[in-house]
Amino acid sequence: MAMDRNRLTFAAVVVGGLLTTVAFVLAFFVAAPVLANNTLTAGGGALIGGKLITNPVLFSQKIFFFHVPVAITSFVIFFFTAFYGVRFLMTKDKRFDTKARIATEITLVFVALTMITGDIWTRYEWGTWWVWEPRLTTYFIMMMLVIVYFVLRASIEDEERRAVYASAFGILAFLDAPLSFAITRIVPSGAHPVVLRAGGGLDAVQLGGFLIGLAGMLCFGYAIYQLRIREETAKERLEVLKASLEG
Amino acid sequence: MDPVLKEIYSLVLPAAPYVLAAYGILWIGLFGYVTVVLRRLGKIEAELRIVEEALARRA
Repeated sequence: MAMDRNRLTFAAVVVGGLLTTVAFVLAFFVAAPVLANNTLTAGGGALIGGKLITNPVLFSQKIFFFHVPVAITSFVIFFFTAFYGVRFLMTKDKRFDTKARIATEITLVFVALTMITGDIWTRYEWGTWWVWEPRLTTYFIMMMLVIVYFVLRASIEDEERRAVYASAFGILAFLDAPLSFAITRIVPSGAHPVVLRAGGGLDAVQLGGFLIGLAGMLCFGYAIYQLRIREETAKERLEVLKASLEG
Repeated sequence: MDPVLKEIYSLVLPAAPYVLAAYGILWIGLFGYVTVVLRRLGKIEAELRIVEEALARRA
């Protein structure tokens, strides 16, 4: 069973690496740039690759091939913080608290990546590094909640109390994730675009690149989570064995 | 340069190398993180094997 999981983790690392590589190449070297809605002020158009281009070309749109998969992965992994938080409160089994902590740790990695890639988007698309609009603000709050989760853990000495408080906080903190995901639909006037929608206007290469990137990032998220769980389990066993060796 | 092409590429060329480099660095950073976790795990599991062998010898 453990052997199968190790193989699956290794496969996830390899597949994640391959898929994100393919997505990167597709995004930056194959997929056609997105055309802006406004037509050229210079008038007319130009034949590029046999196609008449009459709109400015937005290179900055390409960043969503990386940014959106990373952001979705952060939401998915953060779900496991809440899930294992509930499991811990129901069973008081320490393993679930460890799983919730590791899920939050990996969430923080993907949140950091989302914030950096998003800022690059904001800079090139909107000409500014930050805008206090609904999606960015709710995601910023999510990042703060993830950081506070670790501050809370570090501030409580007692192991049992720490696990209970962290589980409860993790569950409450996760409530911000669906809100942040849905906010561009709830408040459509915000500056952040709704990327995932029916008839989004992506061609096959663009959609393919995005889906491959998403699958790759989810594989990476899964692999990092399993590797960290293995590491924690090995650490705990090592401590026990060392104690019995010394005793 | 043709004014039409200039306008088309003005939105593409100045930003392209920087955006590509920034995303490349972040992407490599993620690979680096996975590698660091893998190496750390390898070290702990090797140490675990040594301690297990020591305990087995003692038994």
